[in-house]
Amino acid sequence: MKYTYVIKRILYSIFVFAIVITLNFFIPRIGVDDPAERYYPPQGNMSEIEYEIIKQVTRQQYGFHVSTWQQYMNYLEGLSRGDLGTSFRPGSPSVSSLILGRLPWTLVLSVSTMIIGLIIGVLFGVIAAVKRGRWQDTMLLNASTIMIALPSFFIALILSFYLGFELEIFPAYTDPNMVTQFSWTLESIRRVAQNAALPVLSMVVGSVISYAQGTRNAVIAVTNEDFVLTARAKGLKQGTIRYKHILRNSMLPIVTSLGMSISGLIGGQVVIEQVFNWNGMGTLFLEANNSNDYPLMMGIMILLSGFTIFAILITDLVYVLLDPRVTVGDKR
Amino acid sequence: MVKKVMLLVLMSILIIPLVGCQVTSRSHRPDPDTLYIGSVQTSFPSAYMPWLSREGIAPTIAGLLYDSLFAYDEESGTYLPSIGMEWYYVDSEGIPIVTEDGSIDYARLEEIYGGPEHQYLAVKVIIHDNITWSDGEPLTVEDVYFSFDIATNNALSNHAGALAWTSDLRHKYTNGVLTQQGLFTYDHGAAKQGYQIAEEDRDRVIYLHVNKVLGSVTPLFTSVLILPEHVWAPVVSFENQLNSTSPNEEILYRYRNPVGSGSWLLDAENSNNQQIVLHRRPDYHLTKEDGSPLIQLDTIQFMLYQEINVAIYALLKGHIDVLGTTVSSNYLRLFEDEEDIFVSNAPGEFIQTLVFNLNPVSSERNPMRDLLGNTEFRKAMALAIDQEELVDKVLDGAGRRESAGLMKASLVDFYNPLADSLPTESKVRLAQANAILDQIVPDSDSAGYRLLDGKRVSFEILGSPGEQDLISYLQIQFQKIGIDVQYAAKGAQPESTYLYTSRFDMTLHGVTFSLSNVDIMYPAHFSTLGRTSNYGRLVNEELNEAINEMRFTLNLNTKYDLIKEIQPMIAEEYYKVPLYTSNVISVARTDRFEGYQVVDGSTVFNSASLENLRKTERGR
Repeated sequence: MKYTYVIKRILYSIFVFAIVITLNFFIPRIGVDDPAERYYPPQGNMSEIEYEIIKQVTRQQYGFHVSTWQQYMNYLEGLSRGDLGTSFRPGSPSVSSLILGRLPWTLVLSVSTMIIGLIIGVLFGVIAAVKRGRWQDTMLLNASTIMIALPSFFIALILSFYLGFELEIFPAYTDPNMVTQFSWTLESIRRVAQNAALPVLSMVVGSVISYAQGTRNAVIAVTNEDFVLTARAKGLKQGTIRYKHILRNSMLPIVTSLGMSISGLIGGQVVIEQVFNWNGMGTLFLEANNSNDYPLMMGIMILLSGFTIFAILITDLVYVLLDPRVTVGDKR
Repeated sequence: MVKKVMLLVLMSILIIPLVGCQVTSRSHRPDPDTLYIGSVQTSFPSAYMPWLSREGIAPTIAGLLYDSLFAYDEESGTYLPSIGMEWYYVDSEGIPIVTEDGSIDYARLEEIYGGPEHQYLAVKVIIHDNITWSDGEPLTVEDVYFSFDIATNNALSNHAGALAWTSDLRHKYTNGVLTQQGLFTYDHGAAKQGYQIAEEDRDRVIYLHVNKVLGSVTPLFTSVLILPEHVWAPVVSFENQLNSTSPNEEILYRYRNPVGSGSWLLDAENSNNQQIVLHRRPDYHLTKEDGSPLIQLDTIQFMLYQEINVAIYALLKGHIDVLGTTVSSNYLRLFEDEEDIFVSNAPGEFIQTLVFNLNPVSSERNPMRDLLGNTEFRKAMALAIDQEELVDKVLDGAGRRESAGLMKASLVDFYNPLADSLPTESKVRLAQANAILDQIVPDSDSAGYRLLDGKRVSFEILGSPGEQDLISYLQIQFQKIGIDVQYAAKGAQPESTYLYTSRFDMTLHGVTFSLSNVDIMYPAHFSTLGRTSNYGRLVNEELNEAINEMRFTLNLNTKYDLIKEIQPMIAEEYYKVPLYTSNVISVARTDRFEGYQVVDGSTVFNSASLENLRKTERGR
């Protein structure tokens, strides 16, 4: 039964990815101007013939000189070779090289944020649930309300201004030489840690609250289950009940939340990266969007959607391991 | 035990960010000889093939590394020397057509070239004789020939922009074969064409054949950055084009290590997509009148900021010397009490206008838009616009009102005051507007809004989120004449979504007209239908004829007169109604460098500032 479920989920994921690939190609082309007319509007003294030549050249530069169907075929053929295409940027770098240049730096922020957020969040969540109704719980609820109202942009700016510019405890924005001068030395790693401190802190705040709330609610729900009452009746130690019975059974919503976080790992946080000049995937997407670099936009979207589908697939499979009752689509 | 472990884990986690904790004592502007310039962009370029540089900071950098033949001075309408030293219209023997005082003799020019027997205008350009490329090689007219020639040869350049810039040059290629020669040097057929060039001038003189329009030389002189033939000719071929979509290593190397003739040299080693370092070229050919270097600074370093608030704070805290990006007038108060801060509040160039969709395509017509087709209705709306109030409220006073003829009043040679015939007093304007509307849409609802066939007269104004403030004030002003207007988001691609398809009532549009661009801009804004800036599809045959006459006259004085005649015609259409021109506000620190110049339409980081900046006593 489990194997059937796993195969079904994998096939379903492949199907969804195929749809995403197709939409990814066609959506950017909806309502797009002829790039020739966009970049080179007709000049006053130019003849129609001259302008037509200019338009042809531009279409060729941007790969719009063949039919849409042919472009789609070229795109699929490239993808099958792992080629995400060529960026419109000067020097025409490959999309893959641009993404690979930024992805590690986004992962530095997102993985740090996820690990720190998860550990502190789960810890706070458990404490709040155990101390339900007391000041620890009230503090978490109030902090959640406040943090939900504060956009990450605002938190990032406040942190940059006060901890960066005013107190100079952390770099207010990323050292422009951090990436180009990076090497696997302690000094270089320390430099990255220094520069990542404020962006990570900006993102961790929201992440901690999110995990803490999820954990708190899950733990409270499980605490009221009959098997916990039974464990208590059996006279088990409080620690054993909390960590072996309650926390383990509270894992499902936390895993769901973690799965969603993993899918967002490589997307980057546009706003946070912008405030701190962090050279990550978020700003890469922004650059692509601002310069109408469609191949780059499509490459990033393919990667993001592929990773999201993969993360959801893994989450679903982990569900099966955690809870043998999970058999989606199984008609009893 | 568990509690202790949890505490340890928590402490470890908190230590991770604390590794990044530091008390910074180092200077943020470490080099005393470097001017640090903040620039708000999403990224800096990593390749510098000048003709590719279209967006963000790229054109600025390209303009510092490379030179064009001349620079255009908007105020005087003249071309300032750069690579080129002098230029003339010439007759068929290459003799300059000039008056006794050396200025262009337009009467003779018209006499010689006015007839149909001449298909082109001949232009002679003499370049400076002491120019070198940044690698030390001399710059000659053969580099100019190479640049224009390859720009017109699509098979080698594969660059649409270059084709556009040189479209008025009568030097044409078809499939990589020269079919019409319009460039002549000593080594490229000048003598055969009848242009005599002395042996000692062979590296300095080039003749060009251009279309018979006075504005033909502008893009050739000012848009085409001249490239070094010795750098590019050996590597460019039909297979490896100048603007290659898959450049080989040799071409990529040249993109990343540019050799230019400009006043600055790229420090490729210390430049990346977050900072650009340029060093002054001590051997730059242009100098001050006393022979001293044109620029005193040794190094300039551009620093990338992706967020304007961070960039402003970086300036205030001394991380940078100049913020080379325009800031909103909302920030002016922030700088009021700051020491060592210079605020440049320079007059802007772009006139913000309200554009009416007065002639939509038939499928987009409706009774409300038909109202906009009525000149008297548009006149009433123009009367309701109080430019003084908009400048005061929307721009905090950092701007100016504009002529209805859309020509800056400061351009005294072209501006025609007859375009501004409407009364200036607000009360009188409103009374006139209401009187006009009482004739067209007399009925009103209980809220005072006018009714058309029982429906409130209401329009949408396309704008961006940053323009909501302006549209809110327009809403208040139009309310006074019983017209309702609402903000409508124009989105990322307004041209294809709304403007070219006639799916809008009104839109905001920045325009700028000067002698250098009227040949192109007047037709684009007021004559040509379709995918041009004539979004509201104005059709006025009389105006079209005047614009065409202006474009094709070879007499500059006649051209000035026609530009003046066109302005009242534009004003009386009430089609693109001026709202204001906002100032260009930018800031710089004066603790290390002084001598910043305020230049119309520019931030405080401009060529005049670069030429005047010197260290302060404290900076030494």
